[in-house]
Amino acid sequence: MERRAVYRNKVLPWMLLGPQLILVLVFFYWPTSQALYWAFTLEQPWGGGNLWAGLDNFLYIFRDNRYWGTVLRSAFYAMCTTGLSMLVALTLASFVDRALKGTKIFQSVFIWPYAIAAPAAGVAFRFIFSPEAGLVGGINEIWPGIWDPSTNGIQALGMVIICHAWLGIGYNFVFFLAALQMIPRSISEAGAMDGARPLQRMFDLQLPLIAPTAFFLLIMNIISSFTDSFGLIDTMTEGGPVGQTEVMVYKIYVDGFKGLDYSGAAAQSIVLMLLVIGLTFIQFKWVERRVHYN
Amino acid sequence: MNRTQLLSAASTIAVLSLAAAAPAMAQTKFEFWYGLSGDLSEKVQEMCSRFNASQADYEIVCVSQENYENNLQNTIAAFRANKQPTVTQISDGGVVDLMLSGAFLPVKQLMEDNGYNIDWSNYNSGVASYFSTSTGELLAMPFNNSTAMFYYDTDALAAVGFEGVPETWEQVEDAARKLKEAGYSCPIAMDPTGNWQWWEQFSAIHNVPIASNGNGYGGLDAEVLFNQGKFVDQLAFYKRMFDEGLMVHKSKAAGQTANEAFIAGDCNMTSSSIADHGTFSTQKKGNWQVAMLPIWEGTVRQNSLVGGAALWTLKGKSAEEYKGAAAFYNFIAQPEQAQHWSTITGYIPVTVSGFEAMKAAGFYDKAPYKGRELAIESLLYTPAGEYTRGVRLGNFGAVRQEVIKAMQSVIFDNADPQAALDEAAARSNEILRKFEQTYAGQKLP
Amino acid sequence: MIERSPFFDAVTYAVMIIGLAMVIFPFWVVIVAASQSLHEVSRVPIALWPSDQLWVNLAEAWDRGGLGTKMTNSFIVAVGVTVGKITLAAMSAFAIVFFTFRARMVCFWLIFITLMLPLEVRIVPTYAIAANALLPFQTILDTVGITWLVQQVSGFQIALNWNLLNSYTGLILPLVATATGTFLYRQFFMTIPDELAEASKMDGASAMRFFWDVLIPLSRTNMLALATIMFVSSWNQYLWPLLITTDRANFGTAVMQLRFLIPTMNGTPDWNVTMAGALIIMLPPLLVVALMQRWFVRGLISRDK
Repeated sequence: MERRAVYRNKVLPWMLLGPQLILVLVFFYWPTSQALYWAFTLEQPWGGGNLWAGLDNFLYIFRDNRYWGTVLRSAFYAMCTTGLSMLVALTLASFVDRALKGTKIFQSVFIWPYAIAAPAAGVAFRFIFSPEAGLVGGINEIWPGIWDPSTNGIQALGMVIICHAWLGIGYNFVFFLAALQMIPRSISEAGAMDGARPLQRMFDLQLPLIAPTAFFLLIMNIISSFTDSFGLIDTMTEGGPVGQTEVMVYKIYVDGFKGLDYSGAAAQSIVLMLLVIGLTFIQFKWVERRVHYN
Repeated sequence: MNRTQLLSAASTIAVLSLAAAAPAMAQTKFEFWYGLSGDLSEKVQEMCSRFNASQADYEIVCVSQENYENNLQNTIAAFRANKQPTVTQISDGGVVDLMLSGAFLPVKQLMEDNGYNIDWSNYNSGVASYFSTSTGELLAMPFNNSTAMFYYDTDALAAVGFEGVPETWEQVEDAARKLKEAGYSCPIAMDPTGNWQWWEQFSAIHNVPIASNGNGYGGLDAEVLFNQGKFVDQLAFYKRMFDEGLMVHKSKAAGQTANEAFIAGDCNMTSSSIADHGTFSTQKKGNWQVAMLPIWEGTVRQNSLVGGAALWTLKGKSAEEYKGAAAFYNFIAQPEQAQHWSTITGYIPVTVSGFEAMKAAGFYDKAPYKGRELAIESLLYTPAGEYTRGVRLGNFGAVRQEVIKAMQSVIFDNADPQAALDEAAARSNEILRKFEQTYAGQKLP
Repeated sequence: MIERSPFFDAVTYAVMIIGLAMVIFPFWVVIVAASQSLHEVSRVPIALWPSDQLWVNLAEAWDRGGLGTKMTNSFIVAVGVTVGKITLAAMSAFAIVFFTFRARMVCFWLIFITLMLPLEVRIVPTYAIAANALLPFQTILDTVGITWLVQQVSGFQIALNWNLLNSYTGLILPLVATATGTFLYRQFFMTIPDELAEASKMDGASAMRFFWDVLIPLSRTNMLALATIMFVSSWNQYLWPLLITTDRANFGTAVMQLRFLIPTMNGTPDWNVTMAGALIIMLPPLLVVALMQRWFVRGLISRDK
């Protein structure tokens, strides 16, 4: 930020910033403070009053083993979707990076999943995985009852994870490809002349060079596992069976809006917000170190 | 359903002629949100257009919010934003929350203020007590009330040599076993999320308490008791039926609901609301019958619980809109409208005189309405007792979810019935304590 | 690249084709199912080849989902968010980068922090104020004592009320109130050489003139990039519209409607209609991404880096 700022004006910058600041105040800071307040009170579902509850709401969720179950599930979910999606995207990107004839077509298509709304993908994958329809469900013709995500929590979670990983391919691919293309050709060529095999070159040269991108993507994927998961779970499993596909965001929705416990949901929101802020902070530290401002 | 078609055609013509003839007069519009979808939603819309056609002063705008749960959620959101509908349909799951919220106008007062004279004592006592204060003042307008019934495919049962009515669980199991042996793949369709019919009704007709304090009627400090005695045995029984393939999981998540499976003939028995009697009559092919819920041999049958919902009038609307709401309530309370509503759906007539009139007219004597009188019989089997008049628990919707989770974890994941119910009970009690604390110092009206 | 061995090329193509199959498969299933009749789509195993019922199913889905209104709503929201964000972001980034004023860094951080928390994460708080977006101002007025003062003087009680339920503003504004665009512009403005601004200053041009005549034309590419991203992400919003619309018939968005197309309502597993609906709803953002890929990729990379 070392620009020799050139304009001095007392009013103009405020007029320029005004609209955005007001929006941010109204839709971000105020609601956040409101949530803090709710988290420390017991809010009546129909409005009309609340009672100070101190830390009760937080103690309640921290003592609840089901809440910790959701936290663990969210972590597992984040790990699987992130890992799967990044691995596939990196593989595709490194082969596309070879820039053979016709690669452009592949390259365009690999980005498509990014355009798809999570609920739309959810509906499509629900059909693909539906036990009574003729895709994955076809297996039930051979072994009756073997595939049923409506009763089997592991299958249900697996199905959501696969769908989420698929959704993330486009985004991860774009970044990996950009990072790979930024590596100067001379470096790879020098490696090749030293007799390094492609795979070896990948691990010794390219991976270290794209590590910052990989780290950035890791954080973005984890954050996306908190956000995009809602649309998927709501269209695919609604958190079931037996709550075995409930992740943190979905639990907030279920407890708060369906279970009418706004205070408990607010407390959970605060925890999730702190978590996401923590993750972004780590990422920002990294970005600051990496990006040069002139 | 020629009669229905004829009636709706008539009402359409009435609307059209009214639209043509009515002078340009300021109509008061008001909204009514309800939690029914599909076939039943269409029936509600029909009632709404009948009301609109019957008079020119008010126009009711009826909006489906998909299901009771969603309707409650959206009504609350709207109420908090001061954009609530005048009339909303709230079921047993949300009654206590609404009662304590003070967000509504008691229907008795509303009708009196607007000059309507309704004979409240005429209302079926079970229905009235569900939506009344402890002193008997009715808070909401009874609208669509029902109870759970047992439906069975007589063709399939006859084919495997089961004659008569499956009245007891022993007989149900026997019939299911015969069907299974004869190669039927799904003798009983069962959805654990339907715990209203498979769980709460079970408690009522066997007279076992769901919660202390008279199922919560005695005060907010009630505790749930569904992890004891008969409940545990019943859940273990369901589990055994599933393991033997006598019951099969059918639900939205599984791609086919229990009702759909019964209609399609994929499953031969199921339990559902009497409200679905109308849908079954129009859609199911072949012969089928309805019966009171099965009971265990050696137990004395009690009356079953009232289900369904009532119409609540929300605060914060104009006097004109309240006049409209009162006119609408008066309209649906008219014997001929009530009878029409009951005919096209399957919901019980909510007044005693309504039922008597229909009975006297021979309504229940022949198909397709034959059998519906069993719902009334089931509701009035015994006078409503401490554990059969209803369940009055705070945030009952969330408590229900706990029971559903317990049932699912036993049935799907082989959890131990006692342990699963203990956990559900502990969690339910926490929900109840939190609710009690949220409304500290308040008493059930 | 370096190796040109036919074997390695073959491996490359093989992997890319497998990848293509993986990425395309769900799209293919959607199209295939959307073109089949109820009978065909219910077959086990299903034929993975399109049939001739596409238009019938599209029409049915359009009708059943009320997609005419819903697509229009989605379009209004997506365009609203896009335009709003591009405009506001350019303005605030301009102020932050090219002006010196006391609270500059504070403002930057105030805005930047919003990058961290996507709407889904702070859904409860945002919902809390949806009932009355002017509540913060009311509170300020109340605390400062202006409400009291005005009431004493004029006998008029200030009661600000603006609820966002069932309105385009409710659907749009909370999505505009994040920093993505601001950050993108800031990154771009930082790359503009100081000399450019100085030259413009020497010509006697005002700050706004510099903004209009120099910066805006220069950032056309960035705008396009930002526009594509914003369009896609706001079209695809789900949770927020779900909570903020109780009047689904008039204010529902297309993506919200997907859930109501899942076959459960009428008892027939007509996945063909569901898939036709999904196809319609996923098409606009897909077209944006496919056709404007160059801008889009650039925007994505420069935004998030």
